[in-house]
Amino acid sequence: MTANHVGEVIESSTRGFVARSQNVGESPHFGYFVKTKGEPVVYGLVYEIITESKEPGRKPTTYGMSIEELRSEQPQIFELLKTEFHALVIAHSEQGRTRFSLPPLPPPIYSFVYECGKEEIEKLTSQDFFLRAIISSPNVPVDDLIIASLRYAQDSREFDKGYIVRMGKSLARIFKDDYERLSSVLRRII
Amino acid sequence: MIEGRKDLEGKVAEKISIAHRELKLKSQEWERFSGKVKLSRTFWLLAGIHNPLDTVFSPPVRPLNYTALASDGSQVFPDRHEALPCYLINIGSVVIHYGTGGKAYLNSYPRFFYNDEDRFTTWDGKKIPADGIVISERRNLMEFEEILKLAEACRDRENVIAISDGTLIFWRLEGMPDDFRNEVLAPFIQMMDKLKEMRVPIAGYTSFPGSTDVINALRVGLCPEKISYCNECPYTHLSEIPCAPIEGLTDRTLFSRVLKAGERSSVFESSSKILDFYGEHRIYFFYLNTGEEIARVEIPKWVAEDGELLNLAHTLILDQAKKGGGYPVSLIEAHEQAVVKAKDRDFFFELIREALIRSDFKVTVSRKGLSKRSPEI
Repeated sequence: MTANHVGEVIESSTRGFVARSQNVGESPHFGYFVKTKGEPVVYGLVYEIITESKEPGRKPTTYGMSIEELRSEQPQIFELLKTEFHALVIAHSEQGRTRFSLPPLPPPIYSFVYECGKEEIEKLTSQDFFLRAIISSPNVPVDDLIIASLRYAQDSREFDKGYIVRMGKSLARIFKDDYERLSSVLRRII
Repeated sequence: MIEGRKDLEGKVAEKISIAHRELKLKSQEWERFSGKVKLSRTFWLLAGIHNPLDTVFSPPVRPLNYTALASDGSQVFPDRHEALPCYLINIGSVVIHYGTGGKAYLNSYPRFFYNDEDRFTTWDGKKIPADGIVISERRNLMEFEEILKLAEACRDRENVIAISDGTLIFWRLEGMPDDFRNEVLAPFIQMMDKLKEMRVPIAGYTSFPGSTDVINALRVGLCPEKISYCNECPYTHLSEIPCAPIEGLTDRTLFSRVLKAGERSSVFESSSKILDFYGEHRIYFFYLNTGEEIARVEIPKWVAEDGELLNLAHTLILDQAKKGGGYPVSLIEAHEQAVVKAKDRDFFFELIREALIRSDFKVTVSRKGLSKRSPEI
């Protein structure tokens, strides 16, 4: 069975892409691994999720109602809002071979975005390349993205208890000059 | 200036009091009064009276589930300074289901007119280019056609209200030749026939109305003549003619004194001349206090005379206005879907120029058009 797509690419570059979710308020979670299909397959990490008005000139107001009440009594607002998520490109795969580098071409605009399966996440996180991709990216919340993505990486390999320790050592190498930061990140992972 | 304003406000309040008193007085003998109004010939439109005038109706209970249909239109008029004589009509279309399974469908349908049959119309037997008036009436008609399409697409037609922006009375067609009037009115009447058959009430909603039909009828009431004939008025020698004390008031100001939030007025009949062509769909109206303002709601005769549909129109339009902060939310969204902004208009003509150039047509734009695009200093 093919999993349903969770978004559609509306802005695309080799370093990252923005996708619109199908439904307002729904999105793959922060730090989760996503991909676009095609050649090459492009893998990304969700680093920002935004829900806002579709029209720049119109702002959401307050209604004093629960979401259920709003769906029943003000259903039009869900057509006027959008949820978009931004993904950082961490790898791509050409002819079945995964490469931990930027793709030769960005994912085509309007391509569907899917959540990665456990096996894919395991493959993408078996080494520390994704951590290095996060750290070298400006404009992403580096520490929180490391923490969130490492949790999903660990979840995909529940029987490998030594994984977090291995990645912790990698982080120690990466943050070698900044003990305070390393310590903060490590404490938050566990 | 402020003193003058205060003075004016005081005078208006006094006029409203007189009008309110008259409204109550004439309600006591409304049948006789209705007869006088019917027979009188005045310079102004008079409200047809079929009930006591001062009755107020509290809002009926709103059905839990209901559907609002609305449409609105906008256009790009032809510009003779542009490369191609053409125009665009954009129809905004809204369906909102409330209650269990609430869901909204917001769409817009732009249509591009460039063929000869679109660009011209038959006006008094002659073929003339479609100008602003013609295009506006065509747009109006397209808005109603969209409403019909939406009503026909409704799976469950119980508790459905169709709302259109502004009046249901094509009063501008009054002075127009038969052929053009029929081009618009014949399909409109057919649309009304179908809505009636489906029992989907349609309402024309006017915010902050300037209409004076009821006030005008009360002016006839103030006239001492048995039957009023304005062109034979025997009181013109007086410094103030008998009907003058409430002159200048609108129905809105009167009913803002009468109606509490949520209440509607009695139903009156419009006496607009164009309605002689409406057959069984003559237009009636009532005033509604939305809680924020007094609105005028126009309905066809078959809604006015069907208690169930009338109650439905009252409660659903009130609910729509409440949801939209004083103006029906479905109309707000239909407008948002329809609106063509100045930027869109420029883009539209640019697309046309580009399409022409791509197809190797010579594009000629007037010097005036050109000078507006890149004004030099």
